[in-house]
Amino acid sequence: MSEKLLQLDAVTIRFGGLTAVSEVDLSIGHGELVGLIGPNGAGKTTMFNLITGVYQPTSGQVLFGGRGLLGLRPHHRTRMGMARTFQNIRLFGSMSVLDNVRAAMQLHRRDGWRQALWRGNQARESERGVESKARELLAIFGLEERCQENALGLPYGEQRRLEIVRALATSPRLLLLDEPAAGMNPTEKVELARLIRLVQERFKISVLLVEHDMKVVMSVCERIAVLDYGRKIAEGSPVEIRRNPNVIAAYLGQEVADA
Amino acid sequence: MRLGGARRWLVLALLVAAAVSAGSGVMNRYYLGVASEVGINVILAVSLNLINGYTGQFSLGHGGFMAVGAYVAAKMTLVFGEQVGAAFQPLLFAGALVAGGGAAALAGLAVGVPSLRLRGDYLAVVTLCFGEIIRVVFQNSAFFGAATGLSGIAPWTTFGWSWGVAALTVYVVLALVHSTYGRGFLAVNDDEIAASAMGLNPLKYKVTAFLVGAFFAGVAGGLFAHMKRAINPEGFNFMRSIDVVVMVILGGMGNTAGVVAAAVLLTVLPELLRGFSDCRMIAYSLLIIVLMLLRPQGLFRRSGKGGGL
Ligand SMILES: Nc1ncnc2c1ncn2[C@@H]1O[C@H](COP(=O)(O)OP(=O)(O)OP(=O)(O)O)[C@@H](O)[C@H]1O
Ligand SMILES: [Mg+2]
Repeated sequence: MSEKLLQLDAVTIRFGGLTAVSEVDLSIGHGELVGLIGPNGAGKTTMFNLITGVYQPTSGQVLFGGRGLLGLRPHHRTRMGMARTFQNIRLFGSMSVLDNVRAAMQLHRRDGWRQALWRGNQARESERGVESKARELLAIFGLEERCQENALGLPYGEQRRLEIVRALATSPRLLLLDEPAAGMNPTEKVELARLIRLVQERFKISVLLVEHDMKVVMSVCERIAVLDYGRKIAEGSPVEIRRNPNVIAAYLGQEVADA
Repeated sequence: MRLGGARRWLVLALLVAAAVSAGSGVMNRYYLGVASEVGINVILAVSLNLINGYTGQFSLGHGGFMAVGAYVAAKMTLVFGEQVGAAFQPLLFAGALVAGGGAAALAGLAVGVPSLRLRGDYLAVVTLCFGEIIRVVFQNSAFFGAATGLSGIAPWTTFGWSWGVAALTVYVVLALVHSTYGRGFLAVNDDEIAASAMGLNPLKYKVTAFLVGAFFAGVAGGLFAHMKRAINPEGFNFMRSIDVVVMVILGGMGNTAGVVAAAVLLTVLPELLRGFSDCRMIAYSLLIIVLMLLRPQGLFRRSGKGGGL
C-alpha cells in the first residue's frame, strides 16, 4: 500500500490575525502510530479539528485514503473511517456507558427508524449484535462492569477510556487521540499505553496521538511530529526527536530529554 | 430492545381502549369527554417531548401543528362524510387523521429546516411566530371558515380513538428513542459536536424529531376537532402551545412516563377545580408553580440512563 491513509499538504488555518496552524505537511501510513507533540497552544487540537472537519483550512488540503475532504462535514468523515476523542471530555452525559458506545455504532447500520418501530426479528438481532460488540469493546478497556452506570459518573480516567471505546465503536481506520492520558495516574498511563498499542494491532488501525506525557508518547509512537506556534519544527523517530535541538529549545530542554 | 415485548403492550393497550370504548354507552358522558381530552393531551405532550425533551430543541409550535391537523382532518370528513356509508366512517376518520398528521408533518418540515441553525430561545421565538402565522392564515381563509371556523364536524372521537392513538404515540416515541438509531436523538441533545464526531448527522435527527412530533400533533388536532365538533382559529393560539410545553417541563424533559402523568394531571386538574369558578385559573397556575418548586426535575426523576422510561 503505497498510498498514505492520511495526508496533509501545506495546511494552514487563520483565526483573524492568528495563524494557529501554518503550512503543515503530515502523512500517516496504514497501521502507523504517530505522535503529535508541542507546547500549549501550539495548534495540536486545531490540527485535529482540521482533519475531522470541525474547521476548514484557510489554505492547503487534507486527503484521506487519497480522497480530498474539502467541504465534508465531521459526520461524513467519521463514516469514511476516522474517529477522535476530545481533550475536554465530551461524553453523552444523559446516557449510560453502554449507550454511549451504542450511539457511536449507528453510522454504519442501515437500520433506521423503520426497524426501530417494527422491531422484527431482523431488527432485534441487529440490536443484539450492536450490544454484544459494544460490550466486547468495553471489556477490552476494563469497563464491562460499568455498562449500566451513567457515563459522567465514572472516575476521570475511566471517562477518558470510554471516549476511546466510543471512538473505536465507529470502526475507524484512523484513531485520533487528544491527550488521552491527561488526568491519569502513572499506573493508568502505563496501562493506557499498552491498550493503545493493543487496539492498533488488533483492529489494524492507524493512530495519531496528541499527548503531553512524553513517557506515553515515546513508548507508543513510531514517529513523532513536533508543532510550535502552528509550525512543524521537527519530525522523526522518538530517539531523533529527543535529541533535536529545536525541540529541546521549544520545550526549554526539560521534558523531552528527561523522558 | 430493553422494551422487550413492547409491541405486545401496544396491542394490549389498543384492545383495552377499544373495549372501554365499546362499553361507553353506559358510562358518564362527562367523564368520557374528559378521558378523551386526556388522551389528546397525552399525544400532544409525548410528541412534543421528542422535540423538546429528547432532542433538546425548544419548540413552541405545537398549537400551530395541531391547528393544521384539526382543519385538514375536519375539512376532509365534512366534505366526504355524507358520501360514505356508515360502515366506511371509521376508515374515513382514520384517513382524515393521517392526512391531518401528514399536513402537520409538512408544516413541521417547513419550520424545522430553516430553524435548524437556531437554538434555544431563538428557535422558541421562530416556532411561536410560525404558530401565529398558521392561525392567521386560517383566520383569513374562507375555505376554512375564516374567523368562525368550521362547525358541524362529526363527533367521531371516542375514548377508544383518543386512547388508542395515545398508546400508539407512546409506543412510537419510546421505540424510536430506545433503539440504537434513536440514541442519536439524545446524543444530539447532549453534545452536538461529539454526536457528529460519532458519524451522526445532527441536522437529520433534529428534522426527524420535528417531523414525527408535528405529525402526532396534527393527529391530535384531528381528534380534537372531532371531539369538540366545532373549531375556530382562537382555539389554537399560543396558549395551547404553552400548555403542552408546561406538561413536558412538569413531566420532566425526556421522560415519557413523567410527561404522560403530567398530561393526565394537567387535564384533570382544571376539571376538579371547576368549583372555584373565578379563582380557578389562579389556583391552577399556583399548583403548577408549587409542583415545579417541589419537583424541579419533573414528576419522576430522570433516570441516570437518560431517556428514563
Ligand atoms: N476557534 C478558534 N478561534 C480563535 N482562536 C483559536 C480557535 N481555536 C484555536 N485557537 C487558537 O489557536 C491556537 C492553538 O490552539 P490549540 O487548542 O490547537 O492548541 P493545542 O496545541 O491543542 O494546545 P494544548 O496543548 O493547550 O491543548 C491557540 O492560540 C488558540 O487560542
Ligand atoms: Mg489541545
